[in-house]
Amino acid sequence: MPDVKIDTSTDPQVGFRPPGTLVAATALQPYSGRFGQRHAAHLLRRAGFGGSEADVARVAALGMSGAVDSLLHPTAPDADFPPYPDVAVLYDPKKNRQAAQLWWLDRMLRTNRPLVEKMTLFWHGHFATSVQKTQPAPMVGQINLFRQFALARFPALLSAVTRDPAMLIWLDNRANAKAHPNENYAREVMELFALGLGNYTEDDVKEAARAFTGWTIDKDRQAAFVPARHDDGIKTVLGTSGRFDADDVVAVIVSQPVHQRFLARKLLEFFVYSDPEPELVEALAQVYAVSGFDVARTVGTILRSNVFYSQRAYRAIPNSPIELAIGTLRYIGAQTVPANLPYQLARMGQEPLNPPSVKGWDGGPAWINTSTLLARFNFVNGLIAQTAPGKDGRPAVPAPNVAPDDMVRRAGMNAAKIAETIVAGVVQNDVTSDVRATLVAYLDSQTPSATVQNPLPLGPENYQDKIRGALALTLNLPVNQLD
Amino acid sequence: MKRTTFVSSALSVAFLGGTGSSALAQVAGGTSTLPAFGSSVDPGNVLVVVQMGGGNDGLNTVVPWSDDAYHRVRPAIHVTETQVLKLNDRIGFNPALKGLNELYKEGRVAVVQGVGYPSPNRSHFEATQIWETASPDRPQQYGWLGRYLDKRFAGGAKPASMFEAVSLGDTLPAALVASHVEVPAIGALNAFAYNTGRDLASKQSAGVLYDGAKAGQSPYLAMIAQTARDAYHGGDVLRKQTAEFTNKATYASNGFAQQLALAAKLIGSSAGSKIVFVSIGSFDTHAGQRAQQDRLLGYLGDGLLSFYQDLAAHGLDKKVLTMTFSEFGRRVAQNASNGTDHGTAMPLFVVGGGVKGGIYGEHPSLTDLDRGDLKFSTDFRAVYATVIERWLGRNAGEVLGGAYPALAFV
Repeated sequence: MPDVKIDTSTDPQVGFRPPGTLVAATALQPYSGRFGQRHAAHLLRRAGFGGSEADVARVAALGMSGAVDSLLHPTAPDADFPPYPDVAVLYDPKKNRQAAQLWWLDRMLRTNRPLVEKMTLFWHGHFATSVQKTQPAPMVGQINLFRQFALARFPALLSAVTRDPAMLIWLDNRANAKAHPNENYAREVMELFALGLGNYTEDDVKEAARAFTGWTIDKDRQAAFVPARHDDGIKTVLGTSGRFDADDVVAVIVSQPVHQRFLARKLLEFFVYSDPEPELVEALAQVYAVSGFDVARTVGTILRSNVFYSQRAYRAIPNSPIELAIGTLRYIGAQTVPANLPYQLARMGQEPLNPPSVKGWDGGPAWINTSTLLARFNFVNGLIAQTAPGKDGRPAVPAPNVAPDDMVRRAGMNAAKIAETIVAGVVQNDVTSDVRATLVAYLDSQTPSATVQNPLPLGPENYQDKIRGALALTLNLPVNQLD
Repeated sequence: MKRTTFVSSALSVAFLGGTGSSALAQVAGGTSTLPAFGSSVDPGNVLVVVQMGGGNDGLNTVVPWSDDAYHRVRPAIHVTETQVLKLNDRIGFNPALKGLNELYKEGRVAVVQGVGYPSPNRSHFEATQIWETASPDRPQQYGWLGRYLDKRFAGGAKPASMFEAVSLGDTLPAALVASHVEVPAIGALNAFAYNTGRDLASKQSAGVLYDGAKAGQSPYLAMIAQTARDAYHGGDVLRKQTAEFTNKATYASNGFAQQLALAAKLIGSSAGSKIVFVSIGSFDTHAGQRAQQDRLLGYLGDGLLSFYQDLAAHGLDKKVLTMTFSEFGRRVAQNASNGTDHGTAMPLFVVGGGVKGGIYGEHPSLTDLDRGDLKFSTDFRAVYATVIERWLGRNAGEVLGGAYPALAFV
């Protein structure tokens, strides 16, 4: 097998590879085993933003191949999204960062093309650009670009990103001209977007920067190519020479085997598990190269593969805050995003449109620390509590799937059956028996304790709050922090 | 090997003199000549680390105001002689550092010049990783403070407080990633609680679930369960403890100053924090540098002044040492956007009542350059070694994996 050179020196996911052994020969072959509710829920979490119990049942009924096809090639028209927020309004950064964030979060919540939106989020993390330097309107434009190219060929995406106004601002290529080169964009293309550290030289950066000269933004913040600013001389990039322009450099970069492994590894970490084996990376890199750098075909191979449905990949990756939040909202059937969600996501460590750096979010173990976990738990606690009408007459936040009356109709006023229904719906029964026992004790507490002075058995006066409480406890289980 | 380079350059560390009256005889004593650790070090000593994220421009922070070359290469962004807060006949502070300058005049600020390392990295991410893991040559899974904590609490020892080391922010910096000491990241005090409103039984049940949570197939599950336990119990403990302490200085409303106000509470209360990591940014001033950097330097200097006034009012200013760092300095010459691009060596500050104030190390030459970049004169690991041995009382070699000559600022 070929020498697999991938720099992992700064990859926080190294060390979190699941135990067990990869069956390399068949890892990317199509999975032909049973495709039940747990498989469907797994697919929806990874290739989308989760879903309600009804969504899981619908996907399970399609079978594996049909389910993946429906995600990769959606045919039904998407949900109707307003042309919101108004682009002119977005130039006021004080108010409108949040408007842009909510505009995107709403799409994640309501789209019926979840894989397209999931890949849009993937590219946002990959080409991590921050509203802090670029302002909201160019960021909205960049997110729309990621959606348009979500499953396209990678070179087409990278070429489009090179002339994206937000990127031209973010990495200073707008200031990159023959007379005064600016290497910032060229460096990150090599280090973070396409090759990885150690797979290029400083001279490659300098030469590529020359090829990117000329692309800038005009006074209306639209991308513009100014020939007088472009260096049209001969450049040598990664051992290849020519009178390169931006697209030529993109072509040289994607032809490198190190690029193919770089992107394969990143997709595997996003969709399958942390720190994937070099053999698996190499196998997917081949798929990617043979497909002509086609992201849809590469991702499709992953989503149909044996390794994707293996025990080692199941609940193997911490979900990101956005995945957790949108997944919870989809689960409860919410149709609107809470107005303070961007702020809550910042507390959880993933404020959309505001990644910590051009490296994006580290992900993996970096999602999990004491303060980010508390932010997750409190988001869920607050959200579920708000699905009940307030005692002060405050209306309930509409969440059709949080329906204690339906639950009691199905399960009776029976704590054990209610706990069973909740753990099946929320975490596909991925819990131990003591978790069920704790939920039952909570629902049906009859023994006074330090905090429960006047315990009541589950009954008509408390089942509304108790069922919501048990739902929040289940959503806040450690296992539900894993996708 | 690079070892030779940093040893010889660290030996060149010398006191430049001028104003710091207490700063005498500050010449490095060669390699490994430090006293045995633990002997003369107060176990109550506290370290605060300030990350100046984005790559702070050193030349507009500690300004070589008398050097014509400085003014020549920075026509639009230089700090003029009338603006600079002079430290001596060569260098001075950016005027935005007036708060820090007050501390300097009291002899509580060491300015360590020309800090860097061989073959500097100009990527934010890699350079940050290098600084935070103290490992330029090969990747390190754990941070320099994480490794210090692992050594200090080796063999299953537990910190007296779960807030022994804390990061004040929503994410844990690489510097504090440890193998067996859990370091909480506290974004804000009131958010650090498991909150179920009136439903106390739900809160209690969550505690039962987290206390009983099992490890599983994924290596992540044990980690999440442990972190959930720490988070769940920690919030209540933290609020009780920090309520004992009242800030006795006025802090500005910016996020950095507020982090320092909370740091004072963590240090001065029975939370008993000994390592506190705070951050300020972004110093990545590729364009329009003066406005952005001056604003941030103002937050830095004024925040530290408030912090030390607060600590002094509680009799703690001599117990707390604060050091700054940034992943790199910036290019010597300005760019066409009135900013500066990624560079190399920079100054850092060490502040505190236990610090021997003054100027340490050589200011880098603006004419003897490495491809347009400053050459470093003090290896950053020598600064870490000094702090680990002389302030925290541990053997620096076992944390840093090599011997580095200490500086004399403590």
